Amino acid sequence: MAEPRRTWKQVLSRFLLLDLIKGLLVTFKYQAPRHCYTEQYPLVRPKVAERFRGAPRLNLDPETGESLCIACNLCAVACPEDLITVVEAVREYVDHEGKVKKKRVLVDYTYDTSRCMFCGHCQDVCPTYAIELTQEFELAIYRRKDFVWSWEMLEKGIEQPIYTR
Amino acid sequence: MHKPEIAITGERVLAAREMVLNMGPQHPSTHGVLRVILKLDGETVIDLDCDIGYLHRGVEKICENRTYVHIEPYFDRLDYVAAVSNDLCYVETVEKIAGIEVPEKARYIRVILTELQRIASHLLWLGTHAMDIGAVTIFLYAFREREEILKIFENYFGARLTANAFRIGGLQYDIYDGFEEQVRAFCRILPERLKEYETILNENRIWLQRTVGIGILTAEEAKDLGVTGPVLRASGVKWDIRKAFPYEVYDQVEFDIPVGENGDTYDRYLVRMEEMRQSRLIILQCLDKLKKLHPGPVMGKVPKIIRPPVGEVYHSIESPKGELGIYLVSNGTSFPERLRIRPPSLINLQALRKMAIGHLVADVVALIGSIDIVLGEVDR
Amino acid sequence: MELFWAVWNNPIVSEYILRRLPTIVIVLFVILTVAAYLVYAERKISAFIQARLGPMRVGPYGLLQPLADALKLLSKEDIIPARAERSIFVIAPMISVVASLVVLAVIPFGPGRATITDINIGLLFVLAVSSVGVLGIILGGWASNSKYPLLGALRSSAQMVSYEVAIALALVGPLMFAKTLSMVGIIEAQMTDGIWYVFYQPVAFLIFLVGGLAETNRAPFDLPEAESEIVAGYHTEYSGFRWALYFVAEYTNIVISAALATAVFLGGWHFPGMARLVEPGTWPYALLAVLVFAAKVFAIVYCFIWFRWTFPRYRYDQLMSLGWKWLIPAGLANILVTGAVLVVAQQWGLVEAVRTDMGERLVSVWPWGKLFLIVAALLVSVPTVWITLAVINRRSADFNLRVQRQIRLPERGEEEVFAEV
Repeated sequence: MAEPRRTWKQVLSRFLLLDLIKGLLVTFKYQAPRHCYTEQYPLVRPKVAERFRGAPRLNLDPETGESLCIACNLCAVACPEDLITVVEAVREYVDHEGKVKKKRVLVDYTYDTSRCMFCGHCQDVCPTYAIELTQEFELAIYRRKDFVWSWEMLEKGIEQPIYTR
Repeated sequence: MHKPEIAITGERVLAAREMVLNMGPQHPSTHGVLRVILKLDGETVIDLDCDIGYLHRGVEKICENRTYVHIEPYFDRLDYVAAVSNDLCYVETVEKIAGIEVPEKARYIRVILTELQRIASHLLWLGTHAMDIGAVTIFLYAFREREEILKIFENYFGARLTANAFRIGGLQYDIYDGFEEQVRAFCRILPERLKEYETILNENRIWLQRTVGIGILTAEEAKDLGVTGPVLRASGVKWDIRKAFPYEVYDQVEFDIPVGENGDTYDRYLVRMEEMRQSRLIILQCLDKLKKLHPGPVMGKVPKIIRPPVGEVYHSIESPKGELGIYLVSNGTSFPERLRIRPPSLINLQALRKMAIGHLVADVVALIGSIDIVLGEVDR
Repeated sequence: MELFWAVWNNPIVSEYILRRLPTIVIVLFVILTVAAYLVYAERKISAFIQARLGPMRVGPYGLLQPLADALKLLSKEDIIPARAERSIFVIAPMISVVASLVVLAVIPFGPGRATITDINIGLLFVLAVSSVGVLGIILGGWASNSKYPLLGALRSSAQMVSYEVAIALALVGPLMFAKTLSMVGIIEAQMTDGIWYVFYQPVAFLIFLVGGLAETNRAPFDLPEAESEIVAGYHTEYSGFRWALYFVAEYTNIVISAALATAVFLGGWHFPGMARLVEPGTWPYALLAVLVFAAKVFAIVYCFIWFRWTFPRYRYDQLMSLGWKWLIPAGLANILVTGAVLVVAQQWGLVEAVRTDMGERLVSVWPWGKLFLIVAALLVSVPTVWITLAVINRRSADFNLRVQRQIRLPERGEEEVFAEV
């Protein structure tokens, strides 16, 4: 296929290095401070979205202060990595009419964040919104065994690191 | 262990002028852990072999031991640059074999997210390709655009990279308030930013010298090797699965497929830049159609435990890298019998040998970048 | 003790060593700090170009970053590869640094005592001694006993040697006007003429800039250091302070290239109207001169940094062909044309030889002489150089490169025929 001949305009623009100069002008204009796009991380924490899948947390009922978890084991079944362990027991209690009834209660709950891929299946499947992946993303710890979060830690949450400088 | 062989026709002894150079797994520009063994005559490449497998995680075997719902997060980790496309392929395959209907609104949202992901993947490709050839600033600019897309993703399904975006039968979340504004704002700034990248690169004589005529792959060779995606289209073959076997709602939106002529690196660059613009048009059309469908259901009727009937199905989509296909064999239980992934990057990588022979070592780096591979997909 | 006083009072020692000592100390101190802060400037400027902020944590706005880097490098483990040639491995960075620093002796920072010394072959001295720096690179690459540094060192040395020819040819143009090789003399010639030589020799300035970029392994010509294939080139095996020495040498070379360009093309420490502002011969004048010189050098260094972060990299064979087939013919053509123009101008009385107290200079007559020379530069030398380059390179790939807009968007409604499904 015959290639088209160069026009005079093309010859002149190659000759005067216009292609290089145009590129230089683009990068030059980016030096204005209003173009700066980065955040200074430890001083300014990024705002993450509401649906962000971060650190897990077991929610408490705001009125009674008890755990919302009903020990249904659905989150453990839904997890692709099998890292949630729900230990339940059936306890007897006396209701307001005086009858003895049985209720399933949660005895222990562990969550292994080292294998968690934060897929969110556990929070999707929970019927009472007990387990929730919050907006915390600073999950680094110093010892490997601290990765397995106990029930108490799941309710309290991880400490947010405070950077002094 | 695979011992890479370098085919030497005739003699087995290296002549005095030839040198075997190892661009090892740890290398600043092989886009992941890829080992390329080059046989060089001075600086010219005479032969080339790729040694892969450094990122093999056994995803296909893992999937045989998980239920269909559990498998979905693993697919994000294949082509980790374009996670949403992988999810799309998987949920469509399962919906195909199990016969699950997806509501129309969910289809439109899926297409919007997939096309956004295509733009994000091409932006990352642009940044790394330009950085390999030396223009480092484009890398930072492209990531700034990609950041906008990732913010939309984070607002929508909660994660930026490992999406877990779709569910079998539809979507987990409905769109949030402000979704349309955010996507439209992004579509507004995209063309001018693309224009800036083109100003820096398109006519730059150094860029032209590095990419025009490098790595020519003719249409016949491309079809013989089985490459797909932008590499195939840049060689002159007009083939796009979105047009050939339309899935989701691609048959209801209008868009063009850019086709190159020479099959060199410059054409692959132009084809991908144009694809970003076409994706933007698709997104705008889908947003208009979505306005009429909102509010509506986003999840179809899905059985509690998915047990597809016994059978096999192959379904493929046009991912940003090429044709991503899944071949699923079901034995009636809730675990798949065999899940085989057709990785576009692995098959496109075969073209590297054909393209690189005869060029210099510096061109091999440009070529690996221009094929656009992701090692997560190559090795699974 | 007597020997000590004999040496101290010796006229040669007192003239060339003792009187210059304060200047030497100040220049060394300032230039080494400038080299360190050039790294900081590069990081900041490149960050602004890339829409980010650069070093901000160490000290206010990151100003103490070079200090932190220097301390870190000093405290690193000194690794010498086991099979490396030990003594040469140790000496190579020292050769590079010394070659860069010795050149500073003749760079004209300012009038009078601001310059360390003035040799009457100053320019030749600069070119010769900076070539010795190439030796440091070759030895460093070879002594590392490893494939990648060897490749990088050989490439880098070939590149530097080729572009030195181009630089030297580019410098001959202004020398025809100045008629002296002394650096102070060249500046004085521009003062006498009242115009900077960049207006008479735009082509030579461009060649010098491009050659300077290639000399210092920067910008589009940094393949020997490029991360892409040969990891880090000749300084792959160097770590800690030895690596820092190579980098001091590189950044000092950048400053020296910029200083040469300033002195020869941009009028050095002089700008027109300076004598009216401050009384010449006093120390405020010298201070102003040094500041003007520093500003011009910084402008050129800024251009170096700007080019590095905008342009992609040349491949090695394209780089060598650019040096030999484009810059050297351009330099030669420029010399021929400048010579012809000067002869014609002297015939017509537009340019005359003027005797100053330092030597003879060629000065153009105001206003017609200057106008003639500037117009001749634009209308005669630029097209001649271009025609020469076009004739020499008419068959080469990069001359015939066109922008190929070859992707096509099939029209809507076109029958979608897919070949061989």
